[in-house]
Amino acid sequence: MTVAGRLPFDKVLVANRGEIAVRLIRGLRELGLHTVAVYSEVDRAAAHVLLAHEAYPIGPAPAAESYLRGERLIEVARSAGAGAIHPGYGFLSENAGFARACEAAGLVFIGPRPDTIELMGNKLAARRRMRASGVPVIPGTDEAVRDAAAAGRAAAEIGYPVLLKAAAGGGGKGMRVVRDPADIAAALRQTMGEAKSAFGDDAVFVERYVEDPKHIEVQVLGDGEGRALHLFERECSVQRRHQKLIEESPSPSLTPALRAEICAAAVRTAESVAYRGAGTVEFVLSPAGEFFFLEMNTRLQVEHPVTEMVTGIDLVRAQLDVAGGRGLRLRQDEIAQRGWAIEFRICAENPRRNFAPSVGEITALMEPAGPGVRVDSGIAEGCRVPIHYDPLLAKLIVWGEDRPRALARARRALEEYILHGPIHNIPFHLWAIDQPSFRDGSYTTRFIEACFDPATFAPPLAPDDQEALLAAGALFEAARRMAGTLAGGPEYVTGAPGRECAPSNWRRAALRRMTGRD
Amino acid sequence: MKKRYLLHTPDGEHRAVVARRGDQLAVQLDDGALRDVDAAVVHNGRALSLRIGNRVHLVHLSVAGPRGEVTATLLGQPLEMTVLDELHALALGAADPAAGGGIVAAEIPGLVIEIRVREGQAVKRGEPVVVLEAMKMQNELAAPCDGVVASVPAQAGRTVNAGDTLVVITPAPG
Repeated sequence: MTVAGRLPFDKVLVANRGEIAVRLIRGLRELGLHTVAVYSEVDRAAAHVLLAHEAYPIGPAPAAESYLRGERLIEVARSAGAGAIHPGYGFLSENAGFARACEAAGLVFIGPRPDTIELMGNKLAARRRMRASGVPVIPGTDEAVRDAAAAGRAAAEIGYPVLLKAAAGGGGKGMRVVRDPADIAAALRQTMGEAKSAFGDDAVFVERYVEDPKHIEVQVLGDGEGRALHLFERECSVQRRHQKLIEESPSPSLTPALRAEICAAAVRTAESVAYRGAGTVEFVLSPAGEFFFLEMNTRLQVEHPVTEMVTGIDLVRAQLDVAGGRGLRLRQDEIAQRGWAIEFRICAENPRRNFAPSVGEITALMEPAGPGVRVDSGIAEGCRVPIHYDPLLAKLIVWGEDRPRALARARRALEEYILHGPIHNIPFHLWAIDQPSFRDGSYTTRFIEACFDPATFAPPLAPDDQEALLAAGALFEAARRMAGTLAGGPEYVTGAPGRECAPSNWRRAALRRMTGRD
Repeated sequence: MKKRYLLHTPDGEHRAVVARRGDQLAVQLDDGALRDVDAAVVHNGRALSLRIGNRVHLVHLSVAGPRGEVTATLLGQPLEMTVLDELHALALGAADPAAGGGIVAAEIPGLVIEIRVREGQAVKRGEPVVVLEAMKMQNELAAPCDGVVASVPAQAGRTVNAGDTLVVITPAPG
């Protein structure tokens, strides 16, 4: 009997797109559940739509007019007969109002309770609660500071450098470092202004700025009734502008004692709010080895596959168990880390041009495979990467028996990856895994800032590999021009070939003639 | 048969000669030797398996873009190049400042947030010259070469399309 038979719903609407929607639809199908996809106008033929049982349009391309329209999503769920909504990550996944609206409409929201989302979404409230629960928090104010004098007093007590942070912010936005007391007044004004316009709330608090930290987070699962488990940690220190690029588990920086302490603090965090479902508790680890609660993400995260590969536990399945009232079907002593997993976010960003985003049609795609290689992808050949959403195309996750083997497998898999069309960051990942501080595990959140220079960044190819690329380009072009001559078309005459993504029969024939082979 | 080509890549220009003697193909790059090449078309015409000397290389190729750029990928590293036959390249060279590498253009549609340079200003390679907002983030576009700003067609506060020229730089000699 499928799990679906024991859940109070048999159809789930996935309120998301791209790789996470694909991941969720796969997970739901494996549980025997019926899946409903939604799509904006540019996603009509997207990978997640093609995988679902049913699909419904929800509006024009901009997210605000489609994936963020909660009332439309609920309307679609009800008319499709879905009993639950899975919000994925981003979009409405941490919107307490949306979670409440789902429940009011009689739909199961696959995630935590709305009041937990609200609590953890307010950084000040979360800090106060964590401090009261005995979880170490970064020294800082528990209330917003309203003027320069209050900010100055707080900063003097905490000790410079300090961080001014928007209470309603997140994802690294609405933050400013202040190193000199003379700068605090202006910094507070600017931060309050930005907070007001970005988040609608100008509450700003002061925190100690931990220089050169590592980012350690712990995956937790809660049954909603006060019991929580941890699934160990992930290290996510390779970040650019607070966007993660590479994540791994275990963290190369934790001793067994520190690991036990951090994971216990994460469980305490989840139990203190009777957390329901899957969540992640984020910490900063200072160079001195102190760790502090940073924030809790009340959703499934992008990097969840890293934990799945190392623990062997399916987190989407665990989410469905809790949401369906089946509770946590695991014991802490059954959960262990085995081997090493590393995830690389494949993004449509050009590392040479300071990670400027790229768009366009995917003219060639071959994803790596083989033992210990997992690719969570939202793209397919022929589809267009639109400008309206974030640039994450896919995730490559590798597993090895230990870190060196995982790194070797990562190199092998990245070298197999073919993605033509939008410019992507695979060369960045190949560069990163070669850096001494990444290889020895000492890298911090300053890794990219300290080691990466887009102006001098050059892909590390051996000279004869570089020559092979050029030779191939020349041969390809020679054959194309020959094909143009044969076809007598405008290609050859103007030298402006226009768009062509699939090889024409003429070009195939010309290539064969030229190489003398079939 | 002997054809000469000019390959524009992000790292500079290369010359290539493709020759055929009976059934044997040969390729010469820049000032290197003319080397015999054994090439086979695989993956339904989308890749070339090249044997140069004793080494085998599998290169995936596709063509797209407004100037017919060829993307070739080997070992996870894509190389975008524009391949021109020599006569064509000579004709274009005088007219196209892009051949000298001094154009800063929008790669995707966006909004010009800030212009950091003005006409006559000296710039260094890698220096940010324009800030564009696209895909929910702000992106700095950098000067592709040392030189002097020749003109600034971009205007702050205006939206731009992919391919629009934002800043033209006269590359410094040498």
